[in-house]
Amino acid sequence: MMRRRLKILEYAISSLWRRRYKNLAIIVVFALTISILGSILLLTQSLRFEATEILKDAPDVVVQRLTAGRQDLVPIELAESIAEIPGVGKVTPRIWGYYFDVISGANYTLMGIDESTRPDMELLEGTLPTAAATCAIGAGVGRSRGVGLGDELILVDSRNVGVAFEVVGLFRSESEILTNDLVVFRDRDLIQFFNFPPGFATDISVQVYNKNEVETVASKIKRDHPETRPITRSEILRTYAAVFNWRSGMSLIVFFAALIAFCILAWDKATGISAEEKREIGILKAVGWETSDVLELKFWEGLVISITSFLIGLIVAFVHVFFFGASFLAPILRGWSVLFPHFRLLPHIDLYQLFVMGFLTVVPYIASTVIPSWKAAITDPEEVIRS
Amino acid sequence: MNGGSSAMILTEGVTKVYNPRRPDEVVAVAGVSLHIGGGEAVALVGPSGSGKTSLLSLIGCMSRPTSGRVVVDGRDVAKLSEGVLTGVRRRYFGFIFQQYYLIPDLSAVENVLLPLYPTGMRFSEMDGRAGEALARLGMAHARHRKVRQLSGGEQQRVAVARALVNDPPIVVADEPTAHLDRKRSEELLDQLQELGRSGKTVIIATHDPLVYEHRLIDRVVSIRDGRVENGHAS
Repeated sequence: MMRRRLKILEYAISSLWRRRYKNLAIIVVFALTISILGSILLLTQSLRFEATEILKDAPDVVVQRLTAGRQDLVPIELAESIAEIPGVGKVTPRIWGYYFDVISGANYTLMGIDESTRPDMELLEGTLPTAAATCAIGAGVGRSRGVGLGDELILVDSRNVGVAFEVVGLFRSESEILTNDLVVFRDRDLIQFFNFPPGFATDISVQVYNKNEVETVASKIKRDHPETRPITRSEILRTYAAVFNWRSGMSLIVFFAALIAFCILAWDKATGISAEEKREIGILKAVGWETSDVLELKFWEGLVISITSFLIGLIVAFVHVFFFGASFLAPILRGWSVLFPHFRLLPHIDLYQLFVMGFLTVVPYIASTVIPSWKAAITDPEEVIRS
Repeated sequence: MNGGSSAMILTEGVTKVYNPRRPDEVVAVAGVSLHIGGGEAVALVGPSGSGKTSLLSLIGCMSRPTSGRVVVDGRDVAKLSEGVLTGVRRRYFGFIFQQYYLIPDLSAVENVLLPLYPTGMRFSEMDGRAGEALARLGMAHARHRKVRQLSGGEQQRVAVARALVNDPPIVVADEPTAHLDRKRSEELLDQLQELGRSGKTVIIATHDPLVYEHRLIDRVVSIRDGRVENGHAS
């Protein structure tokens, strides 16, 4: 039985080889389709994975203050009140904000640090700012402004006055995805730059000892300080995931049209079983092949083509995403209007997604190969050959 | 040759209607009853459109009768399932078609191998059998040549080799000399005669006198308008 199967498989491969140019064209189109689809899925998955990895060191809760439904500065004394909640560890007021740079047309994230606490930040070279009028910058900022270590970065403050900062550090990260657009200053410099009123911060980061208690602490903060909005790390992760999912969803919708076109092509190719193929089925039947043998032959043909295409497409997608940084798709999925982060994604594959993708492409193709042959296979060989 | 006594093939009131109950309905075979013994060589003779090819298809289990019985070696094949019918076709029949019906992009030996693929035979055995069948027909030299590169006569011999590779007890041929010159035709008939001598039943549909007057033929059955006109020993 097994030998018979292998014989029919052998014949299927020789049959595919006979129509090699036509089949090669199908494999190219099929593999291209899979590679685009695969790239979107692999990239989305990896970005989500990256975000999870990077945010694992983020604060457990970030407390913002809302005024009239909009984010407002937080009084620093609020940190003392939050620190009294049982289970709360370190509470840190943070000074940060956004800056639109007219020269590069990009948005930067400006962040202040308390030089006495030495936050855990990885630098490519240099140091964190400890002196007045110094800063550390992300790689994207350096590229967009053409500045490096020891150069001056001139930014316009809230009074519309240009301020020069010496670049004393250049950021590196496990991924540039978060530090690409970052400029870090001393707290005092940034308060002055943004012209914050004294005793206010942008938000407050909160560490919780027991990670199972994060939601409880967040709800206590909200209960005690109704004007605040506590955001947990898991909420931030969900937001990232939603953004990446939304973008990949949009890309998939656009791509879906191409996929449908491919399916129509495959169906048309399969349903339009040629007179030559029909006659071959008739001959095989006449010389003693059963209907099941013919259908098995067509099944093998469809399987060989679709699995080959699927694997080629998947390899292309893998290489495209993880070796070439998804150069064709990243701008759509990563975001950042101007400062695109340069980073190497860590390979991460979701087998379930691959299975679904395989199921939705390989199975329809095999069906579109086998089903049209069915009619010819169940018809008397004389009639098929004559037709 | 011999006129076999036990019926290898029996048809009783066999009728074949194409496009039944439609304006273009054609009654190709109308109530034909035949008895063909084992080892017998029979020529079905008649003009074009007389129904001899349709009768040959019914006898060879290539199509099913609209009514009547076709019995092969004691089994009423008209009622068999498609799978069993294919099995009968594979076990009992070797077909030689008028148009050869070879797959042009395959080599001679690959065409001859076609009936052996679903048998699950070892490849060495398959290859041996196919090579032997080709050699018997003087085609050993062309075994790896593509069929489309062969002459008409060579293609005919490949078709015969394919029909014989399974060593079937019945060989069915439809106008086997239609595309051959006289010399090639006589060679083919001599080869078929060899088969007859080895005990195989040979049934040939033809309107070529060279065939039905050949010493190979035991009996000529005349067909006209889908009916048997007469059946006699040659």
